[in-house]
Amino acid sequence: MTEQLARPRSLVGARVRRREDRRLLTGAGTFVDDLSLPGMLHAAVLRSPLPHARIAGADASRAEAPLVLTPADVARSTREVRCIWVLPGQRQTTYPVVADVARYVGEPLGLVVAETRAAAEDAAELVELDLDPLPALADPDQALAEGAPLLHADWGTNVVVEMEIGDPADAVEDVIAGAAHVVERRLRIQRVTHCPIEPRGAVAHWEAATGTLTLWSSTQSPHHLREMLAEVLTLPAESIRVIARDVGGGFGQKEHLYPEEVLVSLATMRLGAPVKWIEDRSESLLSAVQGRDHLHDARLALDADGRFLALHSRIVSNVGARPSNVGAGPALVSSGMLPGPYAFEAVGTTFRAVLTNRPPTGAYRGFGMQQAAWVRERLVDEAARELGVDPVELRLRNMLRPEQLPYLTRTSQQYDSGDYPRALERTAELMRAAPPRPDDGRRRGVGFASYVEFTGLGPTAANQAVGFHLSGYDTAVVRVETDGTLTIATGTSAQGQGHETTFAQLAADRLGVPLERVRVLAGDTATTPFGSAGAIASRSMTVAGGAIVRASERLRDKVLRVAANLLEASAADLVLADGEVRVRGAEWRSVPLADVASRAWLGWDLADGDSPGLEERDVHDPAGISYSYATHAAAVAVDPETGEVEVERYAVVHDCGTAVNPTVVEGQIEGGVAQGLGIALLEESAFDADGMPLCATLMDYLLPTSDTVPDIEVAHQESPSPFVPGGMKGVGEGGTIGAPAAIGNAVAAALPEIAEHITETPLSPARIWALLRETR
Amino acid sequence: MKVRLRLNGVDREGDAEPRTLLSDFVRHELGATGTHVGCEHGVCGACTVLLDGEAVRSCLMLAAQAAGAEVTTVESLSREGALHPLQEAFAEQHALQCGFCTPGILMAVVGEHRAGRSLDEVVADVLPGHLCRCTGYGRIRAAVRAAWPELEARA
Repeated sequence: MTEQLARPRSLVGARVRRREDRRLLTGAGTFVDDLSLPGMLHAAVLRSPLPHARIAGADASRAEAPLVLTPADVARSTREVRCIWVLPGQRQTTYPVVADVARYVGEPLGLVVAETRAAAEDAAELVELDLDPLPALADPDQALAEGAPLLHADWGTNVVVEMEIGDPADAVEDVIAGAAHVVERRLRIQRVTHCPIEPRGAVAHWEAATGTLTLWSSTQSPHHLREMLAEVLTLPAESIRVIARDVGGGFGQKEHLYPEEVLVSLATMRLGAPVKWIEDRSESLLSAVQGRDHLHDARLALDADGRFLALHSRIVSNVGARPSNVGAGPALVSSGMLPGPYAFEAVGTTFRAVLTNRPPTGAYRGFGMQQAAWVRERLVDEAARELGVDPVELRLRNMLRPEQLPYLTRTSQQYDSGDYPRALERTAELMRAAPPRPDDGRRRGVGFASYVEFTGLGPTAANQAVGFHLSGYDTAVVRVETDGTLTIATGTSAQGQGHETTFAQLAADRLGVPLERVRVLAGDTATTPFGSAGAIASRSMTVAGGAIVRASERLRDKVLRVAANLLEASAADLVLADGEVRVRGAEWRSVPLADVASRAWLGWDLADGDSPGLEERDVHDPAGISYSYATHAAAVAVDPETGEVEVERYAVVHDCGTAVNPTVVEGQIEGGVAQGLGIALLEESAFDADGMPLCATLMDYLLPTSDTVPDIEVAHQESPSPFVPGGMKGVGEGGTIGAPAAIGNAVAAALPEIAEHITETPLSPARIWALLRETR
Repeated sequence: MKVRLRLNGVDREGDAEPRTLLSDFVRHELGATGTHVGCEHGVCGACTVLLDGEAVRSCLMLAAQAAGAEVTTVESLSREGALHPLQEAFAEQHALQCGFCTPGILMAVVGEHRAGRSLDEVVADVLPGHLCRCTGYGRIRAAVRAAWPELEARA
């Protein structure tokens, strides 16, 4: 392993500029709200104003609008939506597009369509929803209390699913009982929301003449939407086309079919005209899927030498009003990834996923792993403090060494490759290089967090084993066109990650084509191969990228076979580079790739057994999971008078296998860290004791801004994935996973007198100030 | 009612209701969709345009208030296919990912530069008024710093 593989003359590893930037910088991108179709009408969504209410009826007689879809209309016209991740014993596995009971404020109940959005909103105000209020469950404490109202009376409980992961509880208890030292804390990760700057949105257009439904959506998963929309509307899948063009961020929030997308589809099928719905920010904050909201009662047991023996957590996951498409998946991943980069004799969790009258929680960048890192890394720092050991030293003492990999954790994760201690040591070196800060009365501390990250969401067998109904593979079609230009088509599309550049780098590198002669097709179910997972789970480069690599390499071999006939040479003696094929050692004998391509598409000069054309399709189902890892470090200054935390420095040493474009990789990490900083210090989707939301605007929901996020230092290590052609591992989520724990540990280091109470995010000024006051 | 204004140097006219926001008017009535709408309550900054040269949030204004004014949007920045130095710096520094917030940031920096603000003021006071959920901001700051000498040279 080297820290950065040198690849002279290779496009892989090159910091090339992004190819999508020109259109985005000039205002020429096409986001869904930029779409305007002749005769297009506009929709406003009817939403529940109450956290819990039976829908007795709806009177739309006063609303003068071309179409009103009431709850009953929708129920008659749709089938229930399937949960995609279904765990054993899960009590609810489908949910209606519009239910007969509203279970959170902002839940979609119907649709009003009019000539303009403003007119639709006016008309929506005249639709009278007859709602019978029911007692609301504001949080899991209420939902789990003896005699609590039940969201589903027939269940006898508000727990939708519960599981035990890893070592059995009694085995973990035995190890803990024999430990010299046990650190126990109740740790909480608040509810947050993704806040892509482009909210959700969709335009649906039903063409009756051809029986075709086209849905343009701000989605991360076009193929998944198509499959689910066909089921819910009872339409043939072949009649539906889903298109995602430029998408303004997703972070997990846009990775599944939403009721609103079904509603606009129903509306266009009723009206014949195209129908647009663009979410406003309040709708986004109230009704889109949210993230986190986990409570961990966790213990770390150590022997007298500071060796980790056991780790156990009892988890309560507030999944909200109903299981989202991924339901309790984040709690399962929290459990599976709890051990992190350390060796233990025993690790186990139990989790309960609990329904409350809040919006559903689902996929959000880091997917359970951020919670796991917060819990484990805070316990590690607390152990270090209690034992009087340096936190870096305690980590190194317990960290898996490179020669121990591959390694099977107590929670059945098969770690593949890497050098975890080196990343920690390098991060510590970076932090030691900090210049001394002026003494301004603030308290300063440095904190570390190390983690291992499950990336890629494949192989398919792993998905099947855990009840995840998503393709764990991806398909790439790579084609050398008749003129020697290149087209790549994949089922996974981007929301800012730069696939048009990085996917092109993979293929251009193998086919000797300049980057500007490569086009990446994505985000359109009509032109790209099926892939129901989409751009989630740090999987695009790992799974789709591997398919592009393999298809490109097979295509290169075919180019050489055709060229061998044209040049009357052996394919083994040929080199493909700079848009031509040359004979090695006799470079004046060459043929342009364009000539090879035009002849291959004519079917001329083919090798025996080759078919005409220059196109390869590869289905990549990784043989194993690729685990990225990193250590993060934060240096903070805390104002003891106000409790305000400033992150003064931030460093990451990470490994995502082959970094196809290190600049893009760094961008992913930096953006992820900023979201993690938001969780650590600022963000909370808050509700009052009656279940009413308190954050309906960006005045109430505090996002990181340029003055709160420092420059982030990123250093790379490269341990290629043994399972992925090209060696890439995922990098989309890692920044968010480590940041809250690193910042929390830094705050605890700055304020040792309250360190044991640094258990809950966000570490807002109010929380820190109150803790400081209590200890005075 | 009709609203007339000058958009990127061209006289334009379109229909607006009294309540129509300038952002919606520019995007949907005049078809200049490079200006984006992220929150409609003035927090995110994605909709920033120049009104008679001054950076404003077009979601906090009515179209009628811009009648007769010169409105400048992101579409005006590049000339004959050549990117503006600030756009060039954003591309070079990887200061955008999804690109949704970018037009507003570009217009704010261009407007505040024209208004005579210093680089330090723009970084300290203007950029924190724009939300970006993708980049973590460091590269945006770097791009603005990198472009500044050229903005000064053009002024």
